Amino acid sequence: MRGSIAAAALLPIGGALASCASSGTGTGTGAAATTAAGSSNNPFGLADGSTIDAVIFNGGYGYDYVTFAADIVKKNHPTVTPNVTPSTQIAQQLQPRFVGGNPPDLIDNSGAGSIGFNTIIDQLSTLDDVLAANNLEGTPISSTLYDGVKGPGTYNGKFLALNYVLTLYGVWYSQSLFDANSWTPPKTWDEAKDLGAKAKAKGKYLFVWGKEAATYYNTLAMDSAIKEGGPEVRIALENLDPKCWSQPAIQQVFAAMGECVKNGYFVPGGAGTQFTAAQAQWSNDQQALLYPSGSWIENEMKKATKADFKMTGIPEMVLTSSPKMPYESLRSAAGEPFIVPTAGKNVAGAKEILRTMLSKDAATNFCKTKLAPTIVKGTVPADGFGSTALQSQSKMLDAAGKNVFDYKFVTRYGMNKDMLVVWNSFLSGQTDVAGLTSGLQGITDKVAADSSIQKEKVTS
Amino acid sequence: MTAPVPAVAPGVGRKPKARGPRGRLTFDRVSFMVVFLGLPLALFLVFVISPFVQALYYAMTDWSGFSPNFNFIGFSNYTKLAQDDIFRRSVLNSVLLAIVVPFATIVIALLFASLVTVAGGASGGIRGLRGSSFYRVVSFFPYTVPAIVIGIIWAQVYDPQAGLLNGILTAVGLEKFKSFAWLGEVATAMPASMFVMVWAFVGFYTVLFVAAIKGVPAEIYEAARLDGAGRLRTIWSVTLPLIRDNVQTAWIYLGIAALDAFVWMQALNPFGGPNNSTLVMPQELFNTAFAKGQFGYATAMGVVLALITLLFAACVFLVNRLTGGRDEGGRL
Repeated sequence: MRGSIAAAALLPIGGALASCASSGTGTGTGAAATTAAGSSNNPFGLADGSTIDAVIFNGGYGYDYVTFAADIVKKNHPTVTPNVTPSTQIAQQLQPRFVGGNPPDLIDNSGAGSIGFNTIIDQLSTLDDVLAANNLEGTPISSTLYDGVKGPGTYNGKFLALNYVLTLYGVWYSQSLFDANSWTPPKTWDEAKDLGAKAKAKGKYLFVWGKEAATYYNTLAMDSAIKEGGPEVRIALENLDPKCWSQPAIQQVFAAMGECVKNGYFVPGGAGTQFTAAQAQWSNDQQALLYPSGSWIENEMKKATKADFKMTGIPEMVLTSSPKMPYESLRSAAGEPFIVPTAGKNVAGAKEILRTMLSKDAATNFCKTKLAPTIVKGTVPADGFGSTALQSQSKMLDAAGKNVFDYKFVTRYGMNKDMLVVWNSFLSGQTDVAGLTSGLQGITDKVAADSSIQKEKVTS
Repeated sequence: MTAPVPAVAPGVGRKPKARGPRGRLTFDRVSFMVVFLGLPLALFLVFVISPFVQALYYAMTDWSGFSPNFNFIGFSNYTKLAQDDIFRRSVLNSVLLAIVVPFATIVIALLFASLVTVAGGASGGIRGLRGSSFYRVVSFFPYTVPAIVIGIIWAQVYDPQAGLLNGILTAVGLEKFKSFAWLGEVATAMPASMFVMVWAFVGFYTVLFVAAIKGVPAEIYEAARLDGAGRLRTIWSVTLPLIRDNVQTAWIYLGIAALDAFVWMQALNPFGGPNNSTLVMPQELFNTAFAKGQFGYATAMGVVLALITLLFAACVFLVNRLTGGRDEGGRL
């Protein structure tokens, strides 16, 4: 019987300990293998007979658009074999390969299970040469892209991730519903509150949220505050400054949101509602009027949107009529970061796929099938392939011009999960503005105080 | 267990003389030892012991998880853990689960098991309720559904607007449950999650206890009944003492499952619930490792989780011993 005690006592350890073995042998040995002389139709020296190993996040945009580009590469280089593999758990799946020194050649490091960039920036190849190369039509790629493409993929001054899909953040509504009630979409938080009262009179709500997406309101609040208070608001957040959440612009936006919560302008129960179900309460049931989100929302809710909804986006609200940045300013950043590890066996092949994706055929194919623009300009026709959301995106981008900003601290330090907790409490009315502020400050302070986390200093 | 050696063991004294210490090392003997002792031991060392040792080591590094490079930092991960309020919260939640879930599951399963075996009619032979073989099968159903599926289904049941639960509650006139977020309120998120786990476990442990009760001679129940014992009295004074080994095993397995709870919580409240009220250690570990890229720190969490699990198992044995469990001889 003593033996069985010991056995029963040992049993639990098996399930408890994650046995993460780093073999410790991997130091990039691959890269040298495949390079041939560069030429105009083969600028990176893709070697004949080589294979390209691409692992692509299979999320809202699927992965077929990369397969589309890989097929073109195959057509142009018949001896080359590109393999495109989908994955929804990038970090879990690729962690051992990074440690072992044999990562794939090309990765779309996206989704909830993506690898924190902080941990791999030393192992990535710079991608400046991709932008410097000509596309398949013979035009230099850099001249075909929207401004600020490099920003979201630049870490410690090095351009390491090519973010392919142009994403902008806005507030989305149903044009047909607004027309039917002769409502106008709000430009300021005061107008939003008025609209909330009108919605309530009709038995509707102003906003809706879902438990996994409560931080969309964090994005909305930060963007509003940055437009109102100017870039220094953003820089303080990016650098995790002490009291960065107590900046006046942020506090005023929080206060406006707090009023909306208190007045019951949010569909109740969001903290217990799955986020796509919550989004359907807006796009299908029309219980809520507005939804703050990124431009992926149309594609995400394609199957759960009411007929003739006419989804339309507008810039996020500001506080006053004279904000430091114009109302039309946008948080826009390219998303879907494609990375090329230096230890990959076919770096040239990975870059050739990227070059093909940035050429006309593949980029147009993406817009058409995903109803979202890529970073390549001029691929969305005026009718937006029949999508009002895509039309409004083009309009918003044009109106914003150079007034485009972005920040990375939330994803960079993996803070979204901790922030969800705080935001769910706030939106369901369990905590007030002070509680929200101290909760968020606690999260950023914790990262700021942790010396084992490498920080990036943001100056502009 | 050290069974008390009887003072005089009749018949044992004249044991036949041993043939050498262990017998000769024939090929049969050696190959037998290699296959049945050496091989399992080697597997155990490679796949069980060595990961433990490695984990203990990685817990003392700042390994990010995605590169072969890291520094040895001693115990600072553990000091960091001690000050980490979110981790402390997750430990508390896990311990709460390890106490409540096994207790509730075992009480309910024991009641069900008694109902379908010995709590039937008060006259005639000892038997269960009418139709008990049907109930026995039905009670097992939830256990055949994978945990993640159960989690997803119940997350839908708890949905504030479209969920079955609020639908039923409002239909019977309880208007305050309209849009009530069961998984979104601090007060209800944990109990609601616990309920799902208990619901899923009860069937299997009912079947386990049914098998155990079937092993108890029916005469004992008849005697208890003749002595005038009611049904609850029978469960408490006859069934429970006679199947306590099974209960102990059940308690340990349930405790381990509850200390894990990853699948359930990830399906019901992936980010840890309102105010982290349903965040469990494995979730925090997973998030720290894969989202935050702090594998060394996450490994330290794993070590703490392992220690707590060991402690839990030790407590169950201790309680069983203190309450007079029959460790020596006996059944099992």
